[in-house]
Amino acid sequence: MSVPLSAGPLRNELPRKVTRLAWILLALGIVLYAAGYMVDIKRSALNNVVGFLFLASLASGSLFLVALEYIAGAVWSVPMRRVSEFLAALTPLTPLLAIPLFFHLRDVFEWSHPAAAASDSVLMSKSPYLNVTFFVVRFVCVFGLLNLFYYSFIRNSTRQDVSREQKLTTINIRLAALFMPDFAVIVTLIAVDWAMSLEPHWYSTIFGVYYFAGTVLAGLAAATYIIVRFHENGLLPRLRRDHFYSLGALLFAFINFWAYIAFSQFLLTWYANLPEETFWFVKRWRDGWQYVSVLLILVQFVVPYFALLTQDSKMDPKRLKLMSIWILFAHLLDIYWLVMPSYGGGVPLSWMEIGYPVLLAGLVLVVLSYEVKRTNLVPVGDPKLERGLNFRL
Amino acid sequence: MNDGPLYSVTALFDTPDAIIRAAEEVSTGGYTKYDVNTPFPVHGMDKAMKLRQSRLGIFTFFFGLLGTVSIVGFMTWVTVTDYPLVIGGKPFWTWPAFVPIAFEITVLLAAVLTAITMIVLYFRFPNVSHPLHDTPYMKKVSSDRFGISIQASDPKFDEAAVRELLRSLGGKEIAAIYFDAEDLSHRQELFDPKFLGVLALTAVVVSGATYFSFNTLLDMQPFSWMSEQNKLKAQMPSDFSKDGIGMRPPVEGTVARGFLPYPFNGKPEEAGKDLVNPLLPTPAVLARGKAKFLTFCSPCHGNFARGDSRLQGQFPSPPTLHSDKVRNRPDGSIYNVITEGQNVMPSYASQILPEDRWAIILYIRALQRAQNAKESDLK
Amino acid sequence: MSTAAIDYTQEVPLIEGRPRASEIDATIAAPLDEFPKRGWWIAFAVTASMLAFGGYCAFETVWQGLGLWGINIPVAWGFDMTSLVFWIGIGHAGTLISAILFLLRQHWRTGIARFAEAMTIFAVICAGMFPILHLGRPWLPLYLTPYPNQHGVWINFMSPLVWDVFAVSTYFTVSLVFWYVGLIPDLATLRDRTTSKLKKIIYSIFSLGWRHSNRHWHHYERAYLILAGFATPLVLSVHTIVSFDFAVSVLPGWHSTIFPPYFVAGAIFSGFAMVQNALIFVRQSFNLKHIITLNHLEKMNQIIIVTGSMVGYSYLMEFFISWYSGSEFERFVFINRALGPYAWAFWVMVSCNVLFPQLFWIKKIRRSVPIMFVIGVLVNVGMWMERFVIIVTSLQRDFLPSSWGMYYPTIYDIGILMGSFGLFFTLILIFVRVLPVVSIVDTKAVMEGGQPKHH
Repeated sequence: MSVPLSAGPLRNELPRKVTRLAWILLALGIVLYAAGYMVDIKRSALNNVVGFLFLASLASGSLFLVALEYIAGAVWSVPMRRVSEFLAALTPLTPLLAIPLFFHLRDVFEWSHPAAAASDSVLMSKSPYLNVTFFVVRFVCVFGLLNLFYYSFIRNSTRQDVSREQKLTTINIRLAALFMPDFAVIVTLIAVDWAMSLEPHWYSTIFGVYYFAGTVLAGLAAATYIIVRFHENGLLPRLRRDHFYSLGALLFAFINFWAYIAFSQFLLTWYANLPEETFWFVKRWRDGWQYVSVLLILVQFVVPYFALLTQDSKMDPKRLKLMSIWILFAHLLDIYWLVMPSYGGGVPLSWMEIGYPVLLAGLVLVVLSYEVKRTNLVPVGDPKLERGLNFRL
Repeated sequence: MNDGPLYSVTALFDTPDAIIRAAEEVSTGGYTKYDVNTPFPVHGMDKAMKLRQSRLGIFTFFFGLLGTVSIVGFMTWVTVTDYPLVIGGKPFWTWPAFVPIAFEITVLLAAVLTAITMIVLYFRFPNVSHPLHDTPYMKKVSSDRFGISIQASDPKFDEAAVRELLRSLGGKEIAAIYFDAEDLSHRQELFDPKFLGVLALTAVVVSGATYFSFNTLLDMQPFSWMSEQNKLKAQMPSDFSKDGIGMRPPVEGTVARGFLPYPFNGKPEEAGKDLVNPLLPTPAVLARGKAKFLTFCSPCHGNFARGDSRLQGQFPSPPTLHSDKVRNRPDGSIYNVITEGQNVMPSYASQILPEDRWAIILYIRALQRAQNAKESDLK
Repeated sequence: MSTAAIDYTQEVPLIEGRPRASEIDATIAAPLDEFPKRGWWIAFAVTASMLAFGGYCAFETVWQGLGLWGINIPVAWGFDMTSLVFWIGIGHAGTLISAILFLLRQHWRTGIARFAEAMTIFAVICAGMFPILHLGRPWLPLYLTPYPNQHGVWINFMSPLVWDVFAVSTYFTVSLVFWYVGLIPDLATLRDRTTSKLKKIIYSIFSLGWRHSNRHWHHYERAYLILAGFATPLVLSVHTIVSFDFAVSVLPGWHSTIFPPYFVAGAIFSGFAMVQNALIFVRQSFNLKHIITLNHLEKMNQIIIVTGSMVGYSYLMEFFISWYSGSEFERFVFINRALGPYAWAFWVMVSCNVLFPQLFWIKKIRRSVPIMFVIGVLVNVGMWMERFVIIVTSLQRDFLPSSWGMYYPTIYDIGILMGSFGLFFTLILIFVRVLPVVSIVDTKAVMEGGQPKHH
């Protein structure tokens, strides 16, 4: 089965200024983040956690979208799948971002202090789980598994470009079936270990789902932005409004899903009014955090809801570009809101908070420019490609 | 049947591609009053007929907004103004709790009113009769053919030209459809007497049934069973007891709360010996004693216990309480006098509480001391 | 392996055998025109007797009072609320198939959407019986609504039970509207092909004069999209609000933030199992195997395994967090569930909800009608047990051991549950003889050759 050349240029390079910008941002980001560690370790470490969680969500969310396409048998997303695969290439780099944190666990996690744990009976009862050794073991297993899946999916997908075997699609479908339950546990562990345990006395059964919602949003928004930009620059020419509509509809669906999960968590905690649970929200309603909380709802739900409500807006490339970047920032704000109140005091906002987002932006662009050179922009060997390109609503 | 003027000329097509092409040709041909009938919606037909996007969504938005605003307004009025209650320690205006209901009502109003709008506004309900009904064209178009119908009221209509156009497009079974004269003259008016009559009847039946249900039915069995209870209420007769009275007096020897039996009835000396004043002469106690004394005792004994009240002459005056006899009497003995009475003085047990009696006694003592003050008292 | 069988480059035809549009009319309308055969009558006899028995138990409950049930203090909710949540859950599959799959442009929904929507409405009717019956005075259900009255009081807008009233009524109304709007074009088609005068009058009235005009299809499609767009969040919200009945409390085992998505996933899980079970009979009895194909059933089984896995995840999460919380009360709930007096219900629940559906990973099992039927039944048993376990074990043993108790259902509890199944299946049996079980219009729209080749 040969794919007509009109599917689009196969390998390419990002424009020079983009690659340059990528390296500049990366370098600047590293400088800012190193400087932060020299100035205020705890604050920088917490920012590191924010950055790490954001990167983890972007990488695993992108991998999730790849797996989802296989297991759902979706056709419309096939021409665009490579973009998610490129973003999933962040998976091997994500654990690297966490390495500085392992030298500063004491500054971030209250439960890692043996003295604090010994004097607190609640922490003592959790110590079989919340101890440094098991924490590291979980980290290694989670990222080991995630990377294993990443390499397997990508290898099959890129191999198919050359061999055109339909069997590889079947293998990836089976792999996706294996991946999904593991992914649920992986995302939950990342969320529980790195975000929920910052407040070791607090717990919420929906926390994994909450982080999952953000993860999918991150993967989707980043992919959407890149897909639209590529299309506008002639790199994915055969995409139509029908394809964009599907992206817009998914974005819309998931911001609603996020709001639903966020509200459920809040309503139940508020309603039962148990002090051992409410303190977490109360902390996010004092000392300036109330403004961030309200801002979060506006930014991650209200604005995207109305901006993506109509059918036309979901298909409009300009609107999609704007809202996908918007949602990425909203997701960053979300993680910031989850993590930073542990610093204590007011809402920290200065050059130290900028460091990680800059670094991440640079990192993503660097990875993208590398992948784009190395791999076909369109999965030319995928048997569903033609159906995907002809997809109509 | 179908004996009125010409309504339209119709033609049938076999494939979706054919009908799309036909629609495109007819619309570019300048016809505006025509329609396409297909057994299911055909993709691309809206574009072929150059139809503008449906405005139904705008109605939906406003209905939804109406729903949200009205229900949140209502809940706010109820919980803040009309009957504020503290529930679960929360403030009166608890917006998180309003979200579920607000969401439901928004969806309810938006969805239902959209459907009604579509049916009334676009489908012209209840004026739904149409010349195309019950024609062979309709039967085919309902099943497996695609049809086009160009109306006679279109400004460009010319029967021969239209027939030729349809034939050239590949249309089969080209037929003319006529109005039904009877249908034309009969228009369903909103103020039609039959319709209003039905409406009135419905209103009467519904309100009558509601009234009956709530005012009468709920007082009938079995709904009234909870109101009719086999329990004994106050003042009710009962044949359970011999005297037929439901209420029973307290059992022999029952002591009312706060009213311990007085053991010294008829024993004034023992009262004097055994009763001890439990109160101390503090200013509060003395003030109380004074108040009670002035209320109950002073009418006969006088304001200063000299036995010189205004009742002198009308009533046997009591002796002064400042005599040696009284001054040497123990408190318990005076308590006994107040409780049982003595000579002409009746029992004050039912008017003065036991504690107040002791307070009065302390006040009398104060008065006695005052009337026989010594030099040393002034210090 | 069997990979040779799948060619990903080809679209799998939704309708097998390439029937003509007029044949589709005839096939789908056949049950409406024929007199029911013996099989239908036997089924009807069974369901009607279940309904009758349930009706008797309900009547006795209203006449004599709730003392006839097994509820007590501490277990004030038993079969009644279990069955309420169960039936609302069953209803969710219908809306999901109808609305959500529509929004996701999954055309395979056409074979099953109409039937599933009807099931939703019937399931909600069955569900609605329970909150009414469990009231002390079921003849005063108006007290649940905020009508202006002389008592001067209103309903408690803070209570999730009141939210339920709004949610379930909205769900019923919107589902009914959605279902009816979908029926209008079909009723018009039936009107135009029926030969019975009475049926023609009835179809004419209810089809609202529909004449398949594209100027109407234009608005109709927009309305259908809007209704689907609303029905989707609605269905999620309804079971969420039902989960709030439990989650807003402070009881360990009930107060858990994951309840909303957990309940929704569980609802879809059990609903799909019920739809799948019912459709197996329908496609067999009415020669619809080429429209409700094995592919449809397989896709439904795939959804069953996805939602079943979500339910399994929720069990895992609840179990882990109950330990993680460090609260002895939370920890005890799970020990009690697994090892206490209702452990049998717990283990039935786990095996039926988590274990058996895993068999659907195997393609052969996914496509085997007898096995999938059995798994579907097991899923429904497991999901009913899940609600039972959640409600009863948390109520029977909460904070103070001196308040602990047990719950034993009475014949009236069981009878009413049986009656609800009887009602549900009776309504389905009547439905399949009165209205088209598959959407005629949608089927024609997705068959091969139904749409223009280029536009």
